Amino acid sequence: METITSILSSVLATGPILAMIGSSILGVFIGALPGLNPVMAIALLLPLTYSMDPLVALAMVAGIYNGSMYGGAIPAILLRIPGTPAAIATTFDGYPMAQKGQAARALKIACWSSALGGTASALALITVGPLLARATLAFGPAEYFWIAVFGMASVGVLVGNDAVKGLMAAVFGLLLGTVGLDQLSGAPRYTFDQTWLLSGLDLIVILVGLYALPPVLSLAERADLDGLSASDLKLDNVRVPWSEVKTLIPTWIRSSLIGISVGILPGAGGNVAAFLSYNAAKNASDDPKSFGKGNPRGVAAAECGNNADNAASMIPALALGIPGNVIAALVLGALLIHGLQPGPQLFHQNPQLVGGFMVEMLLTSLIILIVGGAAATRVFAQVQRLPGVLLVPTVLVLMAVGVYVINGRVIDLWIMFVAGACGYFLEKMEVPLAPIVLGLILGPMAEQNIRRALLISRGDFSDLVTRPISATIAIATLALIIWPIGSALFRRRKTSNDAQNEEVR
Amino acid sequence: MKKLLLGIALLPLVAAPALAEYPERAIEVTVPAPAGGGTDTSARKLAILLEKELAASMAILNVAGGGGSVGVTQFMQAQPDGYSLLATWNSPITTVPQVQKTAYGLDSFTPIASTSETAYTMCVKPDFPAEDGAQFLDELAANPNKYTYGNDGIGGTMQLAAERIFQQRDIKAVAIPFGGAGETLQNFLGGHIDIYGGSISPVLPYVESGEAKCLIVTSASTVDALPQAAGLESLDLAAQETLLWRMFLAPAGLDQAIADRLVAALEKTVNDPEYVEFLATKGEIPHVVTGEALSARLQSEFDGLAEAAKNLGLSQ
Repeated sequence: METITSILSSVLATGPILAMIGSSILGVFIGALPGLNPVMAIALLLPLTYSMDPLVALAMVAGIYNGSMYGGAIPAILLRIPGTPAAIATTFDGYPMAQKGQAARALKIACWSSALGGTASALALITVGPLLARATLAFGPAEYFWIAVFGMASVGVLVGNDAVKGLMAAVFGLLLGTVGLDQLSGAPRYTFDQTWLLSGLDLIVILVGLYALPPVLSLAERADLDGLSASDLKLDNVRVPWSEVKTLIPTWIRSSLIGISVGILPGAGGNVAAFLSYNAAKNASDDPKSFGKGNPRGVAAAECGNNADNAASMIPALALGIPGNVIAALVLGALLIHGLQPGPQLFHQNPQLVGGFMVEMLLTSLIILIVGGAAATRVFAQVQRLPGVLLVPTVLVLMAVGVYVINGRVIDLWIMFVAGACGYFLEKMEVPLAPIVLGLILGPMAEQNIRRALLISRGDFSDLVTRPISATIAIATLALIIWPIGSALFRRRKTSNDAQNEEVR
Repeated sequence: MKKLLLGIALLPLVAAPALAEYPERAIEVTVPAPAGGGTDTSARKLAILLEKELAASMAILNVAGGGGSVGVTQFMQAQPDGYSLLATWNSPITTVPQVQKTAYGLDSFTPIASTSETAYTMCVKPDFPAEDGAQFLDELAANPNKYTYGNDGIGGTMQLAAERIFQQRDIKAVAIPFGGAGETLQNFLGGHIDIYGGSISPVLPYVESGEAKCLIVTSASTVDALPQAAGLESLDLAAQETLLWRMFLAPAGLDQAIADRLVAALEKTVNDPEYVEFLATKGEIPHVVTGEALSARLQSEFDGLAEAAKNLGLSQ
């Protein structure tokens, strides 16, 4: 108890509070500007804080991380441009809502969902973090292989109307994922003797090009010179009635759990958490066809899922000293500079700092409610009033700057434009883009881990299905594939029965 | 054209005082590893001290990828003017060229100084049937291909360090490559692999908690942080020493006066008690080798690793 009060009193000091508020606002902007992303922002800013109070530095990490995950939803909803890769799934229903004139409502739901997901995740970090961290150690290469396959199986829901095109997109993603130095044999694949290709294609560069460029180009195509008039914006009267909030609660609970699970197991990240949450919401719905056409539950699932990934992804780093993603690695690096040794003793030896960081992850999730709910939503929705002739060049410049800053390489700009051109033409041919991302992220994860698992089992495939956890995930994967087919058949029979009953009557 | 001529005419005027009053502007330090990692934190901590010593600001640029070769290759475009330095660990310079085609060689650099070093270690679970380094190697030799050991990647320095020892003792163990020491540790703690192979600092807390038993280090002498682990000298394998060490390099052709200035600054800052204490938490010790001696150190390590890579069939 004494620890708790001392943690709270050190976090609720002027420095950390100002840092949390400032960095949350900054985070929303970083998230909202395509190209800029939290990893890059934290990598650039954290070293500048090495001479400051560590709690101020960590408050900054928490604010940028949580703020940007919500910020990414803003352009995703308004312009179909995901501000961060994790906001790709938000575009599916967010943009159709905006087109129906419900932009402000979608933004509000995104804000609440982000705050709730982040809060749930931070609570998990604070309460069961160390316990969960120990549990993740049971996941070896065989289990990670199945997790990747499970994620890819959700492609089934994302492929859209034409399954062949969807699968082609997934395979294209898998192909892109093979570029680079093969970790298990050391052989360079598809690198054409280019050193910059050795580390593979930069995921963020590809995603920014593939997802953000096509909507910008289609915006340019429309060549609207005026934008929306103020009266068309419908910012007033955006109160979401309690009856609708109630319907979102199951989605929030489900997505929080999915986000936390994905976050604690390194390798996938916020975008996969959002996809899986979206997928689960669609599967659980009575009316899956309404998804992709502006269903608020789609926005809620995606935004809640990607924020729930955040704090949970810190669990292995803080509880075990094993960073699960780049931001966690940056945080551990900062702790080292401040003379703290990461590992299982970290919390016992420095409860003030580690506990303080956990509380900051929680508080910044709540700050999003204020920043996003009161201010950002109202301000950012005005973007829709900008005419395309202003918007298109502005977004293009921001994207180019953001992508260049990631590695400081001009070649990345070319990759972004090539990926963007690919995305533009694929969209014209009605090829869905989401499976490409899943292939690109999960393909290498699946490949490396199945090869590691087989190295460990000396080539015995039965190890992949006889271990209890891997068997469970394998069965869940099968269920994920069969479920939509089964429920579609069930619904069809039910409707035809109903029709027969009508006739009898 | 006029501007260009003017520029050329003015060049000596600009260059001459630069030598006299080095450094007079910010120094850019390329770190060929991601932010937050061992090389990055070492370089950044040192940069804070160097800024005071040299009275110039230091900008760290992380360029990760390709086991460090991406960053080093990009660094090759820098001018040898003292304002572009490379802070790297040894692997991109001595190991990576064995297994990848690289655009650089040992002669592409002006060696400034090594800064700190540590060994790799191999650790097992407490129930492993060996209590010291000699028993550990005997157990591995008696059971070919029975044990799996995790490492930082095929052709990485950790794997070559292990294989140099294994080749001397006719040991066959199954190498399982992971993305880094953190991933290796995770799989070791979860019981998915038998032996942790990697740097000392990640595993250190688990030695203290009794979950890991480190039996061998890849340095000739023992390491203070792991007193129970055997050094290679006690196993008659001193010639197989492979260290993880960090250094500052400049592009080839750096002016000697600037190099001397940097050597003096590094010698002072690396041995600063604040830095030594920081290194100790990571299981590292300061070790400054400069100039010609550093060149010789790089060359002998390069040759030893070349042989190990050749025996493994990994050579480029």
